[in-house]
Amino acid sequence: MLDISLQLILNGISLGCAYALITLGFVLVINAIGAVNFAQGDFVMAGGFLTVILAEYVVADNFNPIGASGLIILPLVLIGMAFFGLLFSMIAYKPLKNRPPVTVFISTIAMGLIIQHSINAGFGPEPQIGPALISSGTITIGALTISKQQISIILSASFLILCVGFLMNKTQLGRKLRAASQDSEMAETIGINGPQCISITFSVAIALAGAAGLLLSNQFFVTTSDGGLYMLKAYIAVTLGGWGRLDGAVIAALAIGLFEVIMATLVSYVVAEALLFAALLLVLLFRPSGLFAEAIQKKT
Amino acid sequence: MSSLYSRDFIVTLIIVLIPLCLALNADSYGQRIMTLSGIYAIAAMGYHLIFGRLGALSLAQGCFFGLGAYSAGLIGVHFELSFLTCLLFAVIFTALVALIIALPVLRLESHYFALATLGIAQVALLIAINWTEVTGGANGTYGIPQLDLFGMELSSSNHVLLFVWVILVIIVSLTFWIMRAPFNYQVTLLKDTPEVAASSGIDIGRWRLTFFIMSAIFGATAGALQAYTIGVVSPATLEFQVMVSILAMTVIGGKNHPAGAVIGAILLTHLPEWFRFLETHYLIAYGVALLCTIIITPSGIFGLFEKFIIKNPAYDLKILPSKENKSVSDASSTLLEIQGLSKTYGGIKALKNLNMTLQSYQIVGLVGPNGSGKSTLINIISGLQRQDEGTIKLDASFIENTPSYKRSNRGIARTYQTSLRSSGLDVYQAILACSSNQHNLEHRDNQTHAILRNSRLTSKTGSMVSDLSAADARELDLCMALATEPKILLLDEPAAGLSSAEQQFLSTKIRQLAQSGISILIVDHSMDFLLPVVDRLICLDQGSVVAEGTPAEVLADPKALKLYFGNSRL
Amino acid sequence: MIKLPKLLRIFAMIVLFPISAEAKETYIPILVPITGFLSLEGTAQRNGAIQALDEASSSLKIKYEVSDTSTSPEIAVTALQRALSRGKPMAIAAPIFGTQMLAMLPIAKRAGVPLITVSGTAKLTELDNPFIFRFFPGDAVVKVAHARYVTEVLRAKRPALLYQTTAYGQSGYSHLSKALRKAGAPLVFEEALAPSVKDMLPALTKLRASKPDVILLHLHSTPTALVIRQARNSGIELPIVAGSAMHQPSTAKLLKNHQLRGVCAETAASPISENHPKLIQFTTEYKKRFQTLPDAFALAQYDGMNMVISALRSGAKTAMDIRNWLATNTFNGLAMKYKSDGKGNMGHDATIVCYDGTTKTPKITKKYLNVDGTFNR
Repeated sequence: MLDISLQLILNGISLGCAYALITLGFVLVINAIGAVNFAQGDFVMAGGFLTVILAEYVVADNFNPIGASGLIILPLVLIGMAFFGLLFSMIAYKPLKNRPPVTVFISTIAMGLIIQHSINAGFGPEPQIGPALISSGTITIGALTISKQQISIILSASFLILCVGFLMNKTQLGRKLRAASQDSEMAETIGINGPQCISITFSVAIALAGAAGLLLSNQFFVTTSDGGLYMLKAYIAVTLGGWGRLDGAVIAALAIGLFEVIMATLVSYVVAEALLFAALLLVLLFRPSGLFAEAIQKKT
Repeated sequence: MSSLYSRDFIVTLIIVLIPLCLALNADSYGQRIMTLSGIYAIAAMGYHLIFGRLGALSLAQGCFFGLGAYSAGLIGVHFELSFLTCLLFAVIFTALVALIIALPVLRLESHYFALATLGIAQVALLIAINWTEVTGGANGTYGIPQLDLFGMELSSSNHVLLFVWVILVIIVSLTFWIMRAPFNYQVTLLKDTPEVAASSGIDIGRWRLTFFIMSAIFGATAGALQAYTIGVVSPATLEFQVMVSILAMTVIGGKNHPAGAVIGAILLTHLPEWFRFLETHYLIAYGVALLCTIIITPSGIFGLFEKFIIKNPAYDLKILPSKENKSVSDASSTLLEIQGLSKTYGGIKALKNLNMTLQSYQIVGLVGPNGSGKSTLINIISGLQRQDEGTIKLDASFIENTPSYKRSNRGIARTYQTSLRSSGLDVYQAILACSSNQHNLEHRDNQTHAILRNSRLTSKTGSMVSDLSAADARELDLCMALATEPKILLLDEPAAGLSSAEQQFLSTKIRQLAQSGISILIVDHSMDFLLPVVDRLICLDQGSVVAEGTPAEVLADPKALKLYFGNSRL
Repeated sequence: MIKLPKLLRIFAMIVLFPISAEAKETYIPILVPITGFLSLEGTAQRNGAIQALDEASSSLKIKYEVSDTSTSPEIAVTALQRALSRGKPMAIAAPIFGTQMLAMLPIAKRAGVPLITVSGTAKLTELDNPFIFRFFPGDAVVKVAHARYVTEVLRAKRPALLYQTTAYGQSGYSHLSKALRKAGAPLVFEEALAPSVKDMLPALTKLRASKPDVILLHLHSTPTALVIRQARNSGIELPIVAGSAMHQPSTAKLLKNHQLRGVCAETAASPISENHPKLIQFTTEYKKRFQTLPDAFALAQYDGMNMVISALRSGAKTAMDIRNWLATNTFNGLAMKYKSDGKGNMGHDATIVCYDGTTKTPKITKKYLNVDGTFNR
């Protein structure tokens, strides 16, 4: 019994870590431009496919020991997706900079459609599997069977999240990014290049999505229609955790992963999903600022 | 003014009727596409109300569509009822659902509202897929009878097309009726500047609820029609893709005008058909089309047309016979009584146990350094903020717990320090929007003309509010406040940025208003402006009154002198 | 009706409703889901149909056109209307999606055009519609075979089932549970999974607790692979008998060979497992054209199209001729022999394939022929 519970908790945490990566990127964009990025999930999926493409070339080289290809590919995916994030901000955000946030909502929906169907056109509808980060085997500790990929997910997701946290809180660049997010006009007056900061934020956000895609592509495979659900989870996490708060969002995402797995075991998947929405609606009704306080005050 | 409104309606009808005429001459496939366009136009029209007009990002429109499809479809399959009866049930059912979810959800902020409505839509989808006994599960329910009218089956695509488009015309007319002047101006005001709307007597909650339920009714009608035109209902009608389509149609067509919903629906229903030859690539083209439209023309396609339609000319101001002044008692009475008002936020006590009265026929000036609580006081009196302790008595009733719009109805009006500007109205419309709903349109129209004639804006009646200079915007604020027929007028820094001639005009006007019985409270920093015009002066510091009396008395008060004037003489 | 000037009418036809195709050639539209969650199966349908039609093009003039039916019945109906307006189709390759078929059936009946599909949804042939011809054995055949294999060959007494909350899953579930009950081995555990579920451990945990002796799956491709992998990784070594999604090569590609040991799949046919030269030729040709391996859906659609082509070669001149030919003749396809049971069910054989853990190509383990007795009549 204990081993099953531990196993389930491990699954929940590992899933939650992946969600946390996606959510972190999501909330960075929200902070930067005040709009929801509907394409965030599709970027996760794109990251998965990028991983699959790169894996063919990197592994084919026989350059690395079998099974370590994921780790080699991760920085490549981060860089590649950061570049796509830059493109994304130039196409879907820059032209709409002075318009109400809801227009960006729509442009991200459009971008999501374009990404999803371009990849579908290019790859076809077959599901793909990406390489494991280190190895896809399992370790047995007592009665517990831990997949090495799960550990990899937890460790690398935590590492990336901590890096972003460090970037945002402890570096000059991070301070600039935060200043530009909170009040871009004020930031301009003290010499911070607002548009540049927003581009950088987008790059980081999409890179995180891509990393999540890589991590998930081995554990759960990747199909072109995966995007929507990831975006929805991120949206819920950001709301539960306090709109705009990075720490709240990450914790809420972890909680969602755990909640899903545990509820599905106790009752069923359908009930778990229904309960998640019920919990969301309850929070919105009684404590709409989230379980932690809302970070973004209404801009006058 | 009314000619503009009916011109709008006619333009929309033309936009509706031209494609209809074209389609009536097409083959059954073409007619089917146009039928679908009509159905989605109805759904998009509902979305136009809640999203385009009100600015509320609801993500439940697809859900309402699906609920309408399921309820009409299931009733049609199990019972022998005509389509219109099934439609009635579907509409009532969906409206009830909308009512139930509206009450908790409507007061949420935009990003939460979006998520809440999205969550509800997902739950509906879950139920449709898993409640197999009722909904048929993932397979859905098939065997929905054909559309019928008065017992006759509508089997030819011609008839179905006409049926759907006649309903569309009814829906369009209904939309224009709801949005007749001056209600459309009130809704624009509500969308752009909700605080101003509230303090001008507009009941925001009621409008939101009305529009939400209307959007549900329109969405359900569209869903019911769709189910009947394909003969099956399945969870596909509740999927997020439907919501995305409706949103795209509304935005691309033009969210600010009902015609936009129609244009968007027609265009986006045809686009996938035009792009079919691209096979898998057509959805890419669809996404690109959506992206390009949103970047190039944010008010949508209809927004492009509107730029070429000549906008409102200047209105000719009517010369009206001067009215007899209402008999008001000459005696000055206490209109407003504030006792023990306190407010703290963020650890700072903005107001400390404040007492104050306002008399009719009197002009009171409120001064104090920054942070003394002046704006907070005005916000609390007008209802924009809520006090922590204390009472406010207007005439004979306590209003400290009354919502803002009700206080406006009872006679409290105000202007704002930083001009909150509506972007969709011209000067005339903005003032008309603030007049009371209790009068008929003609009375309100006359009232607006009278206010305009007495203002500095006589030559700018047709200017867009957002085009006004700062000084003119302040004058407009005052006019809007006057349109609510106030007994008490709270002016927040009305003279800021005004030239001396403009200030002179303002002083004269304020004195005239006081002479007609209105009690006026002015917050300002400019002593040059205040001293000549006020009857009494109240000095505030750190949330409490430190000096009060006639200007002469206050100027002689050493406490006041020290605080505001340093030790130098005026 | 308002009479429009001719010019406007031409404008309407050109701009709004593009011009129809040549009427001389035989026109066969292919309406399948090539986007959306059934795109894997729909693409297989498309490929199989195209291969058959292209192979016949040397001797017959056939014009075909592929249209996406995506995921909703509405789009499918529109696609059908469009196909009907662009010429006189003799037959139509129709989507595997049950709900879409249900919406299309009345229209096809009115237009008098036979629909050639591989959808297994039982309902389709229970509606008294003479224009449906399904070339993939329905749930009434494959699920019975599925149950028989489990109870007769594996001699299982306590089956557990995971099925999908889609039309495919729910339909299969109801037939499978009925067949198992009849065979004296009712389900000891069942759970419905949405296609988006990723972590299978909760379901597997509960499944384990019910102490089954065999695991049955009726899921789509990705979830099937996910369950097998997570089951094997958590030490569940029970035999797994999955639905037709397992036999799809794209599913096996997601798994390691050793994870496939003890896994079997129910399907109509498995083209990659066969040694028959004609089938090998089909598979090789398919791989060359489409850069991927064929599955039973592709093969069934190929056979269905070939039966239509047979009808054409025997002199069928109208859609009705084709319909009548299909309803009355037996056809030796590559996957099996086809004959209508009077309701439009053409395929009556099922195959069980199993993986031995050393390769991704399964072996044919058992064939169930004539499951519903059609060939006896």
